[in-house]
Amino acid sequence: MKVVEFEKITRSYTSGEHVLNALDGIDMSLEDGKFVVVLGQSGAGKSTMLNLLGGLDTPTSGKITVNGRDISRLNENQLAEYRASEVGFVFQFYNLIPTLTVYENVALVKEIAPNALDAEKILDEVGLKDHMKNFPAELSGGEQQRVSIARAICKNPKILLCDEPTGALDSETGVIVLKLLLSMARNYGKTIVIVTHNQNIAKMADVVIRLKNGKILSYDVQPSPLSADEVEW
Amino acid sequence: MLLRKLFRTAWKYRAQFISMVIMVAIGIGVFLGFNMEWFSLKKNTDRFYEETGFADYRLYDKTGFTADAAEKLRRIDGVESAERAFSVNVNAEGQDKNVLLSLNAVEGDVKFHVTAGEGYDSSADGFWLSDKFADKKNIKVGDQLTLSYSTKKITGKILGLVKISEYLICVSGESQLMPDYDVYAFVYVTPEKLMNTIGMDYFPQVNIVGNKALLKKNKNEVEDIVNAALGKTTLVISKEDYPVYSEAKGEEEGKTMGSVLPVLFLLIGVLTMITTMHRIAANEKTQIGTLKALGFKDRTITLHYTSYGFTVGLIGSALGVALGYLVAAVIVSPKGMMATYFDMPYWNLYIPWFCWIIMAITLAFLTLISYLSVKNMLKGTAADALRPYVPKKVKPLKIEKTKAWSKLSFGNKWNLRDVTRHKARSAMTLAGIVGCMILIVGGLGMNDTMNGFLSLIGNNIYNYKTKIIIDEQADPAEVIAFAEATESDFVSSLQARFGDRTVAVEIYNVSHDKFRLTDKHNRRVELYDDGVYPCLRLSGGLKIGDEIEFSFYGSEKVYRAKVAGFLRSVMTENIAMSETCAKNLGIDYKISALYTDNAPEDISGYGFISSAQSKQTVMDTYDTFMEIMLTMVLILVIAALVLGVIVLYNLGVMSYVERYRELAALKVVGLKNKHIGKLLISQNMWLTFTGVLIGLPAGVGVLKLLLVLLAREYELTLILGPITYLVSILLTFGVSLAVGALVARKNRKINMVEALKGAE
Repeated sequence: MKVVEFEKITRSYTSGEHVLNALDGIDMSLEDGKFVVVLGQSGAGKSTMLNLLGGLDTPTSGKITVNGRDISRLNENQLAEYRASEVGFVFQFYNLIPTLTVYENVALVKEIAPNALDAEKILDEVGLKDHMKNFPAELSGGEQQRVSIARAICKNPKILLCDEPTGALDSETGVIVLKLLLSMARNYGKTIVIVTHNQNIAKMADVVIRLKNGKILSYDVQPSPLSADEVEW
Repeated sequence: MLLRKLFRTAWKYRAQFISMVIMVAIGIGVFLGFNMEWFSLKKNTDRFYEETGFADYRLYDKTGFTADAAEKLRRIDGVESAERAFSVNVNAEGQDKNVLLSLNAVEGDVKFHVTAGEGYDSSADGFWLSDKFADKKNIKVGDQLTLSYSTKKITGKILGLVKISEYLICVSGESQLMPDYDVYAFVYVTPEKLMNTIGMDYFPQVNIVGNKALLKKNKNEVEDIVNAALGKTTLVISKEDYPVYSEAKGEEEGKTMGSVLPVLFLLIGVLTMITTMHRIAANEKTQIGTLKALGFKDRTITLHYTSYGFTVGLIGSALGVALGYLVAAVIVSPKGMMATYFDMPYWNLYIPWFCWIIMAITLAFLTLISYLSVKNMLKGTAADALRPYVPKKVKPLKIEKTKAWSKLSFGNKWNLRDVTRHKARSAMTLAGIVGCMILIVGGLGMNDTMNGFLSLIGNNIYNYKTKIIIDEQADPAEVIAFAEATESDFVSSLQARFGDRTVAVEIYNVSHDKFRLTDKHNRRVELYDDGVYPCLRLSGGLKIGDEIEFSFYGSEKVYRAKVAGFLRSVMTENIAMSETCAKNLGIDYKISALYTDNAPEDISGYGFISSAQSKQTVMDTYDTFMEIMLTMVLILVIAALVLGVIVLYNLGVMSYVERYRELAALKVVGLKNKHIGKLLISQNMWLTFTGVLIGLPAGVGVLKLLLVLLAREYELTLILGPITYLVSILLTFGVSLAVGALVARKNRKINMVEALKGAE
């Protein structure tokens, strides 16, 4: 079943007379429960695609359908509701709230997400049960990213969107976090979209989309993706 | 290139810079304005005193001073002039009976500030009249004027329209709060004309002007010298104790009162600057690091960032000086607030020397703040400087260990931690709210208190229609017969020495309920005959049953009396007693004033009546006073609102900028703008609630302090009506809510993509 559909999506940025198309008439779709990796060089349009999908930004033209709902024409409040219920974000720099504890950062989403999961259980699953009362600044980068994953999963969204989730971590920690991310996504049956420079991650994906200059260069379905342990990091 | 960066960074932080400039400008402006006010008044009044020969000492003797006595006084070492003077309230023909003119005759040369006609000439035959009175009544030089004193008349031409420092504050007595030239003014004649027309050779006063040697002596020394010269004890009043001078000086004492407000503004201005500059420097840390890494010397970078503080201080101070002139001009100018109180020709504005020093120190301090802020960010190697500013780690609060914590909503937890984490910002917000509250409570409370005071006088104490001043030479039997026939109350007022102070001993007969005496709680008091009643200001260290001593000027006899209670005295510092008590003590007294229900026009033709003034006329002057009071209250409330808005807005924007990433993260997670707005506003509301809790008692405290400062002039009861409490609280919450909403609106513009891209 198609969970995401992009139809002729363009996102332009204007600077004076100069117009830059970060995404240039993209058509694509994503299947439910798949692990999708978006690759491309800096400026290829990866993050723009993720931001549009996550409801952080709206397209200049075209239509984005998520679970049968056109999100490209939603207003501010509707987009906030969409972000609260349909998508979970994992950022490169975690973006945790420094004044809330680990538990509170995760449990926070219960205030807005209608189908939120039990925060304590999720934190247990990501291995942070003993750090629930700590503040983000007291954790390592890997641990902070695990909190970020727990927060994204806790909302119980349909899709997990990850922008360079291992980009700020050393390779060893990055692999651990990636494994966790994938296992959590699979356990909870989420579609997961990861935007990255890292070609190795693509080896684990069901679908690999390559972007260049705002256009899709290739859209490859991998029938037998590798597991994290099989990839040479 | 760095200069370009300087301007661009300033533009980036324009809201903060503008707030800082405004705060510094207001701080300096209000500080300067109030200090210019008292300083200019002092300079202008001193010039006026000097020009019109204001006496350094005044001697009083009801039996009158002879020419020989005046000569003896002139021979005292250090006395430049000693001139006999006479003054009495008279009516002017063709004017309402309520209109009183104080008729003066002084020997020697009288120095006027002449605004029309001629100056004083001891051989001239005519009047020199108050120019303000003439203006009100449309009287011109050359017009004929007839004055009636008792049953006698004195007629002459107006020779000059003048001002004189003796009538700098032209009021008929302590019961008149504000000058009203429609009903009271002054007029001068030569002693010769007075003698020729009404046959008087009675001078109960001598005005002494001394040289430096005499002025170096204290009042007691002068009193001893005078008494030795005249061979009897005489009432000596130094200019410091003379009502016109002390009241004018009292206005100068506004510097004590006025300093509370300006210092508060200046302090908040400087504190805002400290918080803001620190935060700007913290936000700029990576840029500071980049410049350092590029090879810029620490000195260049420091100079670059320090120039922000200097520029803000310089612009703020320049605007502050302009604002200071404006504030001062509202009070000190021919059309200003003080012009309704002081009748003087000079209204120049002067900046006190120390204000320049304070401004220089403020400017240096603001520059130092920027310097220290950037110095802090430059510490260590270039790599250290390149690392983003890391705020202190969050530590769990004590409340987090309690069960109540888990029951708090996310918003409350977030706000509580945010407030405790950003202590300086929270404290500043609190200071702004407390300051706002103090000003509003102070302003409205002062209004309530003065209204209550005037209503106490008008409705409770003064129960008469007319106050009649009895002539010094009146026959006591005739006066008492009149009082009995008209069912009038009366008082006799005598100047007495009580310890180091000169007080009025007031002997009352208030059997007809025309004049009421009240205690500290404004309850009516019936005077017992077995003791005396010092006023509240004299009550320090005394208790009922104690024995006090006092003596009258002109006599060596010391009177001892038991304290039977304490009374609220409207204006004068006095010791009150019943007529029977005075008789028991053996005090020889004459009735000074009668309180009657007869209208002034019904009691003319009695020789013993020096003047009569209706209660309404006096009460009308209070209206002018209350109008000025209301203007002051309005200024205070506006100042409070400006203070509240600027401090809260500046800190709100700063806090918004700092939490931009957090707010963006909340937005990404799915929180709606409304939800985030509520978070921001609720934090403001918490701080406002705390600020109100502190500000309300603090405002009452400041008000009490003001009343203590004013206690020399009036015995006021602090009154704060429920409306004042309500309005103060509502206005403060209103400001906080409005500013909070204004800042909260900004979260709509949060660019989630941009905000979350940056490095942690």
